[in-house]
Amino acid sequence: MAPRYYWKGYLKLSLVTCPVAMTPATSESEKVRFHTLNKETGNRVVSQYIDSVTGKPVKDENEAKGYARGENDYVILTDDDLDRVALDTVKTIDIEKFVPADSIEWVYLEKPHYLMPDDPVGNEAFAVIRDAMKADGVVGVSKLVMGRRERAVVLEPRDDGIVLWSLRFGDEVRPEASYFEDIEDEADPDLVPLVQKLIKQKSSHWSPNMVSDPIQTSLLKLIDEKKKELKPRKTAKGGKTEAAPKSNVVNIMDALRKSVEADLKGRKAG
Amino acid sequence: MASGHRAQWKGFLKFGEVSCGVALYTAASTSERLTFNTINKTTGNRVNRIFIDGETEDPVPKEMQTKGFEIENGQYIIIDPEEIAAAVPESNKTLEIEAFIPCSEVDDVYFDKPYYLTPDKMGGDAFIALRDGMKKSKVAAIARTVLFRRMRTVLIRPHGKGLIATTLNFDYEVRSSKKAFEEMPKLKIEGEMLDLAKHIISTKKGEFDPATFDDRYEAALAELVKAKIEGKSLPKPKKVEVSKPNDLLAALRESAGLLKAGAAEDSKPKRTAANANQGSGRQRAARGVASKAASSGAAPRRKAG
Repeated sequence: MAPRYYWKGYLKLSLVTCPVAMTPATSESEKVRFHTLNKETGNRVVSQYIDSVTGKPVKDENEAKGYARGENDYVILTDDDLDRVALDTVKTIDIEKFVPADSIEWVYLEKPHYLMPDDPVGNEAFAVIRDAMKADGVVGVSKLVMGRRERAVVLEPRDDGIVLWSLRFGDEVRPEASYFEDIEDEADPDLVPLVQKLIKQKSSHWSPNMVSDPIQTSLLKLIDEKKKELKPRKTAKGGKTEAAPKSNVVNIMDALRKSVEADLKGRKAG
Repeated sequence: MASGHRAQWKGFLKFGEVSCGVALYTAASTSERLTFNTINKTTGNRVNRIFIDGETEDPVPKEMQTKGFEIENGQYIIIDPEEIAAAVPESNKTLEIEAFIPCSEVDDVYFDKPYYLTPDKMGGDAFIALRDGMKKSKVAAIARTVLFRRMRTVLIRPHGKGLIATTLNFDYEVRSSKKAFEEMPKLKIEGEMLDLAKHIISTKKGEFDPATFDDRYEAALAELVKAKIEGKSLPKPKKVEVSKPNDLLAALRESAGLLKAGAAEDSKPKRTAANANQGSGRQRAARGVASKAASSGAAPRRKAG
């Protein structure tokens, strides 16, 4: 499944500009997700907006973003308005600075994204920026408006593309000194070689197997068992084919199947 | 240790047969971002959110809500929250190091959230021996334990006097970069283009401290709101000119020249291989001055063609 690009804009280095698209590197779509159901009916519970004064439901197309100007006084802003915020960083990642590849503290890395050319016209320009960073062992530093904040971002060449990291703000990272101040500076010199020996014994290589999720596996098992319990119903549903004879001779089994079917349809959430 | 802070988790860190008492503290939080209120356009009133049955549209009170899993086409299986809880193994409160991996192999796209990892009073010696051993061997450690009701993998690495444990995203949550980029054309840039780009980079090298970065968004938005209230027309987004493939080399040359002219005082002009490849330095410098003059007028935009 091709990912939806969640941002499109431009990558710029000095006078070189190319159109780019960006997608998050992480996704929750494969995670076992539970929905909220109504115990009584088995239907899905959904959220609905109602007008706080009239109490009437509000249609999707009438929902708007409001900037609070005062008590109960809002300036409505459309997405189009928001795109017009007077910051070039809404649409353009202008690389202002380059720093050594390992010089950004990991604790500042917030969320990774994949950045790639959005139009063949920019393929070569994109490749120039990527390969020059690679050749120099540097990462680019820029800023970009993401989620209604202007964030510092770091661009790191990887494979044929670029990984764009949004960075945390200074006030989001807690000062380490107050956590680490009581820790001793120097380890017992006799212990360190032993630790290093142990490290050698337990040395391994990175593998995505190290980040498996056994609980998800057991949840999927649980769901599978529940599904099996449902099986008779499922067969009933599958049994309803176009070839089924429209006969007036009804046996009890068919009648039951039909009831189950009707029941399932009734439960179907909109 | 870490007096005055509340630990997110307390337990043991175990490597080989050694274990020491440790605590995890949140290293990064999310600061407030600007939020909007959702407004009913037709009345200008704020809206409230209620929870209703998807079919009957009746409100569903909290106590009537339960969890379910969608199997197919809108069919749900109700799963008791207790059954979900039972799938989580009991925590042994021990971060057990399963492997050490070279720091250079760490794939940072898996990073989730960082925590400061500190020793408790009794565990200090083993903790700092591990810290210094890892530092010397240039490795990070992979450990697992039940954290926040999930079996989580953390990457532990030395940081200053302490350790930082970063939770890692699960395998199915991360898209591999190889896959994300597989449809991109395989282009390798060499020769003059690469040299020019490297030259541009060299003039922009510096240091960056993320802690000093300022978010200008709120101020810019306040301006926009003000303009809207006053009925002024909002500024049109500037049109961005894309470098055409045919002009790329020229754009790079111009960029390199422009920058060099700007930085001429403190840098030696014959620094890059680009100069050696590319005619006389004087000619390039002249071009740089010309383009600088041109661009200082209006927008710093390169004329196409």
